[in-house]
Amino acid sequence: MEGLVYIALFAPFASSLFAALFGMSERKIFVGVVASVLLAISFVASAMLAFYVYGTGHAVHVTMMDWINAGDLRIPFGFVVDQVSVTMMTVVTLVSTIVHIYSIGYMDHDKSFNRFFSYLSAFVFSMMVLVMSDNFAGLFIGWEGVGVCSWLLVGFWYHKPDVSREENPSISPSWAANEAFIMNRIADLGMLIGLFILYWNVGSLQYDEVFAAVPFLDGTVLNAAALALFIGAMGKSAQFPLHTWLTDAMEGPTPVSALIHAATMVTAGVFLVIRANPLFSLTPEVSYFIAALGTFVAFFAASMALVNRDLKRIIAFSTLSQLGYMFAAAGLGAYWIALFHLAAHAFFKALLFLGAGNVMHAMHDELDIFKMGGLKKVMKWTYLYMGIASLALAGIPFFAGFFSKDAIIETAWNEGTIVLWAILVVTAGMTAFYSFRQVFLTFEGDERYKQYGIHPHEMYRYVLIAMSPLAVLAVVAGFGMEGFEHFVTKLLPDYHMSEHTHHIAWILGLVVLVFAVGGIALAYKKYYHGLKRDEKLENSWYYKLLANQYYIPVLYEEFISKPYAMISDAMWNKVDMKIVDATVDGIAKFLYKTGDETRKMQTGNLSNYLNWMAVGAVLFLVVAAISAAAIG
Amino acid sequence: MDNILSVLIFFPAIAGLLGFVVDKKSARAYGITVAAIEFLLSLWLWFSFDTGNAGMQFVEMIPLIPDFGVNYYLGVDGISLFIILMTTLMTLIGMVSMSIEKDVKNMIITLLFLEMTMVGVFVALDAIVFYLFWELSLVPMLYIVGAWGGPLRVYAAIKFFLYTFMGSLVMLVGMLFVAYVYHSLTGVWSFAITDWYALVLPVNYQLWLFAAFFLGFAIKVPMFPFHTWLPYAHGQAPTIGSVILAAVLLKMGTYGFVRFSLPMFPDASVMMITPIAVLSIIMIIYTAMVAYAQKDMKQVIAYSSVSHMGIIMIGIFAMNSEGIGGSVFQMLSHGIVSGALFMLVGIIYDRRHTKLMSEFGGLAAVMPKYAVIFGIMLMASVGLPLTIGFVGEFLVLLGFYEISPVMTILAGTSIILGAVYMLSVFKKSFFGPVTKEENKNLKDLTAKETWSLVPLVAIVIWLGVYPKPVLDPINKSVNAMLVFMEEKAITAEAKDIIKVPQSATTVGEVK
Repeated sequence: MEGLVYIALFAPFASSLFAALFGMSERKIFVGVVASVLLAISFVASAMLAFYVYGTGHAVHVTMMDWINAGDLRIPFGFVVDQVSVTMMTVVTLVSTIVHIYSIGYMDHDKSFNRFFSYLSAFVFSMMVLVMSDNFAGLFIGWEGVGVCSWLLVGFWYHKPDVSREENPSISPSWAANEAFIMNRIADLGMLIGLFILYWNVGSLQYDEVFAAVPFLDGTVLNAAALALFIGAMGKSAQFPLHTWLTDAMEGPTPVSALIHAATMVTAGVFLVIRANPLFSLTPEVSYFIAALGTFVAFFAASMALVNRDLKRIIAFSTLSQLGYMFAAAGLGAYWIALFHLAAHAFFKALLFLGAGNVMHAMHDELDIFKMGGLKKVMKWTYLYMGIASLALAGIPFFAGFFSKDAIIETAWNEGTIVLWAILVVTAGMTAFYSFRQVFLTFEGDERYKQYGIHPHEMYRYVLIAMSPLAVLAVVAGFGMEGFEHFVTKLLPDYHMSEHTHHIAWILGLVVLVFAVGGIALAYKKYYHGLKRDEKLENSWYYKLLANQYYIPVLYEEFISKPYAMISDAMWNKVDMKIVDATVDGIAKFLYKTGDETRKMQTGNLSNYLNWMAVGAVLFLVVAAISAAAIG
Repeated sequence: MDNILSVLIFFPAIAGLLGFVVDKKSARAYGITVAAIEFLLSLWLWFSFDTGNAGMQFVEMIPLIPDFGVNYYLGVDGISLFIILMTTLMTLIGMVSMSIEKDVKNMIITLLFLEMTMVGVFVALDAIVFYLFWELSLVPMLYIVGAWGGPLRVYAAIKFFLYTFMGSLVMLVGMLFVAYVYHSLTGVWSFAITDWYALVLPVNYQLWLFAAFFLGFAIKVPMFPFHTWLPYAHGQAPTIGSVILAAVLLKMGTYGFVRFSLPMFPDASVMMITPIAVLSIIMIIYTAMVAYAQKDMKQVIAYSSVSHMGIIMIGIFAMNSEGIGGSVFQMLSHGIVSGALFMLVGIIYDRRHTKLMSEFGGLAAVMPKYAVIFGIMLMASVGLPLTIGFVGEFLVLLGFYEISPVMTILAGTSIILGAVYMLSVFKKSFFGPVTKEENKNLKDLTAKETWSLVPLVAIVIWLGVYPKPVLDPINKSVNAMLVFMEEKAITAEAKDIIKVPQSATTVGEVK
């Protein structure tokens, strides 16, 4: 089994290195093929491990070598394959393999084709390190690794210049990449502090030792550690107020958005909370905060998706919103439900993004859904895929999202947090609306793209075939829910609805369904038959507020970025040059001047010297008298 | 080789003297050969170093002025060993990559003398010998900046010289006073640092002496507010000067704190934790901001050096093995990474004769290899895990957390602010379209440049993935130092704060 662990982990690394060898040469299809095959190998190894863990119920634990030993700190490169990590590994490698194959088609005209595969595989490797490590420091390696790969991939088309926010809300790929990296770093500081708290209170960063020790720790320590770790999670999972980077990250190539900014990296925060559940279970206040923030983000992000016109940004907002759902579940103690939604979401969200990629490929990188419409005629399969994914996202029975999202909403009811429940139900309706607004505006109605002289075409057949497993999973994944619960609750705390909730479960489900169907119906009414612009609505203040993301990016720029640059400049020009350095030079000049002035004593005139001698003698006498008096 | 340390010190100096008779055209090859032999000798030192021994090794002692206890006294332990290796390595690589055309022979000879003084500082165990090398190291650097520097070179060189010289004079007074106290307590003169370690000084003496040494070391580091000589020196120095200055000369200051201040004045050191930490935090945040405001690429790296030295300082005063060990490791890491970054800036300067970032843009498309190596060094500089930069920074912050969580959070902003200015450099220079005509046909790295940078990249990754061979000996010597600091400390506060790791005490019991 150990061999399989290393194969699953290092096959993506090998793939990355292989592609890097050709990083600076021109496009070679075989690089993409080899990378895809290696990723598939990693997937097969992960699946075999999943079977093993499922069959035996045992975790596989390997320690490769020491990493950092200093003082009492011992950090090994250790990897654990248990119910939670093997779930993540399987989902990550499955989606990654499909995205790799997809990219062979999608990136076929890009001159940096090889470089792309190198980054993409490096990302998968980092993600595997993140989920497989058996300690917090190892997790942090992967944590930062996915951050760097995301930076590289968001900024993949680095040659594009910066433009104004009106022209492109993300300014430029390189701007968005830096924003993502820096915002994640802010959260990472929180995460590091969490690690320090755990280390100085437990004496180790190994999961098993930490989780064995947490029940004996003081409440404030636990709260501080949980909060600090959650701040880390907020960065990677783009929770408010660190959320702006995620939509800007859509500047990266679409396969990247599908893999990193939907299915895997952004779920790292959720994974952390699930992984550290023994800690979070002991901190009800922090957990409640997580649930409340998650619910808020679910609603907040969905509201911005309602009016957006950018195909990818709508999906990005929906990712944000669904991450909110996951945090709501995890915060309420339903860890396995959060993990289930994470997996189900990975499938349909990757499918949705790849579908969007097909549309972009067809539309020559046009993203404005107001300029599309009627694409179903030329893109039947893509329409089908995106339709399925949207049904799953909207939570229509019996697609994957129906099971997982319903369970989360039910949990909110079960915990007695009625306000959270209500918000999550309303958000479900909004989700259905914006998903189908997008689908209808893209595929149905009049063919607006013709005005822009675009001739769309369906994606390559092999790409469509590669996408099919995701479509199948988006339909059927929900039926594996019971088996999944049985599997992961060997490790995670089981969560059951109370008797009472169980009785009215069908009513709760019906309420959600009414909202979801209502959302779709509204979208159908407004957008199915083509785009009818409503000038009055579009000019209203609330529409503008939503379209401008509540003006948060502008606020950040005006109140953080610009003042920081200004203060930095002042620190340099005013403080460093005018005060600190000027003082140093001032002292030096004073010494120099004194020397220069006293030099004039050397006149060569004997009577002058005698005068100075007298002054000196008197001074010495005075000093002698004073010191004599002081000592006496 | 019993006197390997003497060989390490004087081989480059003697070779430098012989260099005067070498033909001008072969001076460069000669210098590289000497530096390579010196590097191999230091590698040999490492391989014959007994990693199980925490104390001084390869000790040499020849009386110089017996009446005053001044001896030619040398030795290395885990703390100094790797700094010596870094010194010889960076000298070699600096020479290989050197692009100076003017007076190459003089430059080579100067560098070889500089190497002697640098190695001397790190192996000296006698305060007077230490002081001699410490001051002598100023001369070659003064010459490098003053003779090969930019337009303001004379101002920068004199500022560098006088400023650091003034600090060291105060330190010299401190040294003489320690020797005097030693004499009045024991009746014999000694300038041996190891003898001084045994001296238990009253707290007020410790405070005064700490201050005297502090001035010498702090200006060298350079700590805020004594740092303003550094941007001038870097701004005017040729690439090779900046590489050596950043990689090695600054480390003398932090090394001094570990070698002198902590073990000699444990109580004063503990009392000074807060003031020093405050200065270090100002250093970290303030210079990171100043770095962000720079328009000249080299100045960004120069200010970032100050910011990173703040991390090293705060780790030294963590008073535990994680923090101090991390600091020593961070000294190496900063040496390699900032040295490489200065070399990288030098490479673009050689091509474009400007360092202003506004002159660049889109270089990633024109010079991909250069961009990759710059990117790796950037990531090491911002402390990405699995690069050399992470290990030290992580340990320092982890160690200092035990002293003060709030100050650790403030110091930890370095991981954010560092990313802010470094990514901004990268974006301005490497991303975006190629706007300037002159940049369209820039040549990517030449073989010479590639081969001087690739070893550094290899080290950055090797020590990031597997720091154990370096970290273990450092850790051992640091633990030993902490054990006797704790024993020696007089005040209860110091005994409480100085934390000997459990692993070190249990090993002691077994023995």
